[in-house]
Amino acid sequence: MIFREVEDRDLIAKARRGQVEAYNVLVSRWEKRVFNYLLRLVGQREDALDLSQDVFLKAYQNLKKLDDPAKFPGWLFRIAHNEAYSLLRKNRPEGEMTVEPRMAESSGGMFPIESTLAVRSALARLSDDHREAVLLKVYQGFKFEEMAEILSCPVSTVKSRLYTALDLLKQTLAPVNTGGAK
Amino acid sequence: MSESEVRRMNCDIDLKAYVVGESTRPERGAVENHLRGCQSCREELDRLNLTRSMLASLEDEEIPRRIAFVSDGVFEPRWWQTMWRSGPVMGFASAALLAAAIVVHGFERTPVVDTAQIEKQVESRVGARVQAAVNVAQAKQSAEFAKVLNATESRFESQRKSDLATVQQAAEYYEKQMARFEVASNQGAGQ
Repeated sequence: MIFREVEDRDLIAKARRGQVEAYNVLVSRWEKRVFNYLLRLVGQREDALDLSQDVFLKAYQNLKKLDDPAKFPGWLFRIAHNEAYSLLRKNRPEGEMTVEPRMAESSGGMFPIESTLAVRSALARLSDDHREAVLLKVYQGFKFEEMAEILSCPVSTVKSRLYTALDLLKQTLAPVNTGGAK
Repeated sequence: MSESEVRRMNCDIDLKAYVVGESTRPERGAVENHLRGCQSCREELDRLNLTRSMLASLEDEEIPRRIAFVSDGVFEPRWWQTMWRSGPVMGFASAALLAAAIVVHGFERTPVVDTAQIEKQVESRVGARVQAAVNVAQAKQSAEFAKVLNATESRFESQRKSDLATVQQAAEYYEKQMARFEVASNQGAGQ
């Protein structure tokens, strides 16, 4: 992990000096993570792909504004967050929530495909803010402080959003009455 | 709220921070110590871990199309950006531009301006306009002068007639007086 960070830092320094191949390596290294974060946030594959392209283009154009290359992951996801929310605000009227049909309450003994569908459905029912907190913490592994920087909000807000999301997901994915606890 | 959750309300530990790896080492020790004696928190921890593991089962999708690389053209700087960033190229371009400007300036034929002809034309046009203005003014003055002259002549004629009438009246008066004097002198001589 330490080597990876050093390599990213080195690639960023080279890209800043105009070595485009270094930036290409950075793109190939981060594109899958950024794409999956955007896909789970906006829900549409084509939108996520277009947004990913925009994210890496903006990152390239603003690479010299990145103060600390060690903060590249958070900085990149902050760009991705901003791009995703401008699309969500454009596509969805103010205050409207994502509503998906409720899935079956039971999660015991599910096959992998059922489990995948259940998780997707449970994530889709969360509000954008709650879902994003889960995506950044569970899937991207950011710390609370990093999430606060990405989302431009206090750490207390980040914790509140994540804890609420976990409670909602727990009710669906590990309900009490079905013996979800093992 | 479930019975387990009600029982956990008195437990002062942050299980969610523990599950997502945000607890410090002392906090983790305190949680693990608490869990040994609290059935409700153990059940809650199991549910949170199950939720976490189910979320983790959702695998990342492969990106359907690679992000365009810098060499693909999307990220390529515009020609003017490339030139702007390159000092030697910019210097050479400036020098070439300056040289081209000098050459063009050297070959450029400045149009010959015949100032004498322009002056003549201007003079002719100004003269014509002045003459026209003078003619208009003269015509106006002549008309006014004729009008005043007619009025004066008319007034003079009437004055002359009036004077003649007065002179005639005076002459008649003197003639009558002379006649009276003559009659009176004749009568005086007869007595």
